[in-house]
Amino acid sequence: MMTTHTLTGYVRQALPDAVVSVTDRTGTMDHFSIRVVSDLFKGKNLMDRHRLIYGALSEPMKDGRIHALEIKAETTDGS
Amino acid sequence: MASPIEDEIQAEIAQHKILIYGKGTKAMPMCGFTRETMQFFDKYGYPYELIDALPNPAKREALTKMTNWPTLPKVFINGQFYGDTDILDPMEKKGEIEPLLKDAFKNG
Repeated sequence: MMTTHTLTGYVRQALPDAVVSVTDRTGTMDHFSIRVVSDLFKGKNLMDRHRLIYGALSEPMKDGRIHALEIKAETTDGS
Repeated sequence: MASPIEDEIQAEIAQHKILIYGKGTKAMPMCGFTRETMQFFDKYGYPYELIDALPNPAKREALTKMTNWPTLPKVFINGQFYGDTDILDPMEKKGEIEPLLKDAFKNG
């Protein structure tokens, strides 16, 4: 498990401008749904956006703090 | 040079027009995301294959390397990698899935 604050911190290491909304899907703080809004996604397709996020979160995903992760990745203009 | 395990994966991808590498079996999916992915394709009515990647860590590792995608399930349609339902759901909203599947199955 990990806090919303810690999770957001990991994402911002890769995407400093990111606005991250975190939903705890199971009440156990290890199954998350996150929405990441960043203009660093511009010009990147959805899969590459997700790869960026997975890369940023690889440590907590490997050590089990994140068990399951659902991702939405958008730019500030909603694309 | 591709390893035998990569060859095995390539053969599976070529053999099944819709292929899900997931956790568990169709009768007993072991993860909510695998179940969600099955439900996603159930709507369309085309046949799909689910291969359980849990019992084979080496294969799981090879798949991750091939796709540069760390998580299961992993979905292949017509030989191409499409990530998971986080990718497929927005594609569906844009109306991109139906034509993709139609095209994949046009020759039977």
